[in-house]
Amino acid sequence: MVRAGAVGAHLPASGLDIFGDLKKMNKRQLYYQVLNFAMIVSSALMIWKGLIVLTGSESPIVVVLSMEPAFHRGDLLFLTNFREDPIRAGEIVVFKVEGRDIPIVHRVIKVHEKDNGDIKFLTKGDNNEVDDRGLYKEGQNWLEKKDVVGRARGFLPYVGMVTIIMNDYPKFKYALLAVMGAYVLLKRES
Amino acid sequence: MAAAAVQGGRSGGSGGCSGAGGASNCGTGSGRSGLLDKRQGLTVLPRLIVNSWPQVICPPQPPKVLELQWKIDDKPVKIDKWDGSAVKNSLDDSAKKVLLEKYKYVENFGLIDGRLTICTISCFFAIVALIWDYMHPFPESKPVLALCVISYFVMMGILTIYTSYKEKSIFLVAHRKDPTGMDPDDIWQLSSSLKRFDDKYTLKLTFISGRTKQQREAEFTKSIAKFFDHSGTLVMDAYEPEISRLHDSLAIERKIK
Repeated sequence: MVRAGAVGAHLPASGLDIFGDLKKMNKRQLYYQVLNFAMIVSSALMIWKGLIVLTGSESPIVVVLSMEPAFHRGDLLFLTNFREDPIRAGEIVVFKVEGRDIPIVHRVIKVHEKDNGDIKFLTKGDNNEVDDRGLYKEGQNWLEKKDVVGRARGFLPYVGMVTIIMNDYPKFKYALLAVMGAYVLLKRES
Repeated sequence: MAAAAVQGGRSGGSGGCSGAGGASNCGTGSGRSGLLDKRQGLTVLPRLIVNSWPQVICPPQPPKVLELQWKIDDKPVKIDKWDGSAVKNSLDDSAKKVLLEKYKYVENFGLIDGRLTICTISCFFAIVALIWDYMHPFPESKPVLALCVISYFVMMGILTIYTSYKEKSIFLVAHRKDPTGMDPDDIWQLSSSLKRFDDKYTLKLTFISGRTKQQREAEFTKSIAKFFDHSGTLVMDAYEPEISRLHDSLAIERKIK
């Protein structure tokens, strides 16, 4: 009684068969594997978009880079951006300067308000000596409502370090995403 | 000489099976004939005479090595015996193969297709949200985004309800066509469970009669150690009789009724 040969293509030394599960699947199961992966990505995406809609801010969670001693590098900030909220001196806002991608988290120190609600305000980082006029665009001395990404409502310490590491070492980010993606695509769900 | 006749009978039997069955896959399933012929014993010799003429229509099978072990896709199924989900998947797949190949039932993909449709619709909402937000940056896309997000989570809820209550742990729905063609099909359902880090595997077979719409169930709970050898290979000789016994217990009840 002769048995047929070994199952599938093994990686010779380790005996690891990563495509073993996939080979035994029919079309529907393969499609479900792909769908599973797509659903995980979609769930993350939908939660993010849902937060955007709820808070009204285009980036409701940001990582703080410098605002000692209030926030430390690596803290996660939770923002909202409701139109009715007034911006007052002393509040911490996250804003984007035209021409720069990175939002800045600083405190509002001066506010000028018109009767119809238009605002001009000036910001300064708690840890900085001077105000932010050096950071604004050429010729711009005040910020307006449209530059605001959101106002800080709450924060989580240290959780943002992962994002900072992934941004500083992009290869680590891609490797991590590739491994996670491969795991979901190749492993069969029972 | 008797052995040679038996061997001839085996290959003749398989040629006869595929020729008489009307399907033209002459190349398949010679490995399976061994298991059937064990039961027929001495009737093999007369069969040799009766069945050898279809070999004229079907080209004769090349002499295959005797394979007494039931195989899936002609290869023994070998998995990591400590991986609970791999064990359950291979047991489920083998049970499916037994019902579909031995009893020749037809698989019904309705349940699976339902689940796939729900998932596809959810992903479609996500893609719409992504593209719309890309084309009309945030503040203008708010209503569409809100709609897509809510629809997505509603679909997720529907999916959860579907898999918990409609699909349960059923992994096979098979139909047996009524030979007279008048009654609706009988439905066989297989469902199984294997708890995490447990070794007791429960397989439940449900029979729903097409005519009377009555439902009958049979199940067995056995340790997976009974079906796998120490290297993680599934031993079909130990597993297949269990399934056949479950099936026959339900089929016999039907005859008595």
